[in-house]
Amino acid sequence: MGFLVSFSFFFLALVINQSTLVGQTTAEGVIEFPKYDIRDITHVIKEHAQNNGQITDPIHADIVNVSLIRKGAVVNYTLDLAGLGHDPIIDKNNYSLIHYNNGVTEYNENWTST
Amino acid sequence: MVAEGGQLYTIEGVAAALIMLTTAYLVVGATAVYTPGDAHISDMQMEILGSDALKMMDTPQNFTDAKSPLRQIVENDDGPTFWKMFNNTINNRSGLFPDHIQFTANYTYRVPSDNSMNSSFLNASRNLTGGEHAVRVTKWVIVTKTLPPGAGPAQDRAVLMEVLLWRD
Repeated sequence: MGFLVSFSFFFLALVINQSTLVGQTTAEGVIEFPKYDIRDITHVIKEHAQNNGQITDPIHADIVNVSLIRKGAVVNYTLDLAGLGHDPIIDKNNYSLIHYNNGVTEYNENWTST
Repeated sequence: MVAEGGQLYTIEGVAAALIMLTTAYLVVGATAVYTPGDAHISDMQMEILGSDALKMMDTPQNFTDAKSPLRQIVENDDGPTFWKMFNNTINNRSGLFPDHIQFTANYTYRVPSDNSMNSSFLNASRNLTGGEHAVRVTKWVIVTKTLPPGAGPAQDRAVLMEVLLWRD
């Protein structure tokens, strides 16, 4: 009996021996999640939209290129503004589809101005 | 007379003991990367502090003043005002002595002719030596400025404010 029990312990130890234990702390998880980046990028895109921005503005190219090179994040967005994309008499709202992906976290937003 | 069954028990005991010793050896030899639970808490706090400070500086001071202090700082390349405002925000605390968080700040913009990046230094409380354990915080700002300088009229551009923060 003792022989069998010690043998099972032996195999459990083999499993532990072969696996590498790595810990991730809570603070590390908080740092890794790009909460401020997402808030910031959606804020600046909405600001661009509310200033009657267009996709051909330098701001769009600025946001897409600088995000990729300095932040390592793929960012893109569309703009459909009242008076520019559609008739303001029919619909007074502005719309934007925002996409963000930094390789770890992906975020998509379908924004409608109020 | 000694019963012969006793010998078997002895052999089993010795074998079991040997296996248990090998087990202990395997467990001790297992690779474990140990991360202390409080390793990144100060980094996290510094990142939150810096992000909040930049967010606050990018808020217009009142309804009629449409431009935020951070926007004015970038548009005028006003390093001294940035130093004063940012340093007060991150280092002031209750009590007699301020905190001693150091920073270096620059903003990055796209060069329209070839889509390359250009960084413009704003201000720093201390020079980087390379040994700091710095945390990077960023903030997008829309400015009306000629970027790069001297290339045509001023227009609306998005620039990325980047600040490195560290404690020494």
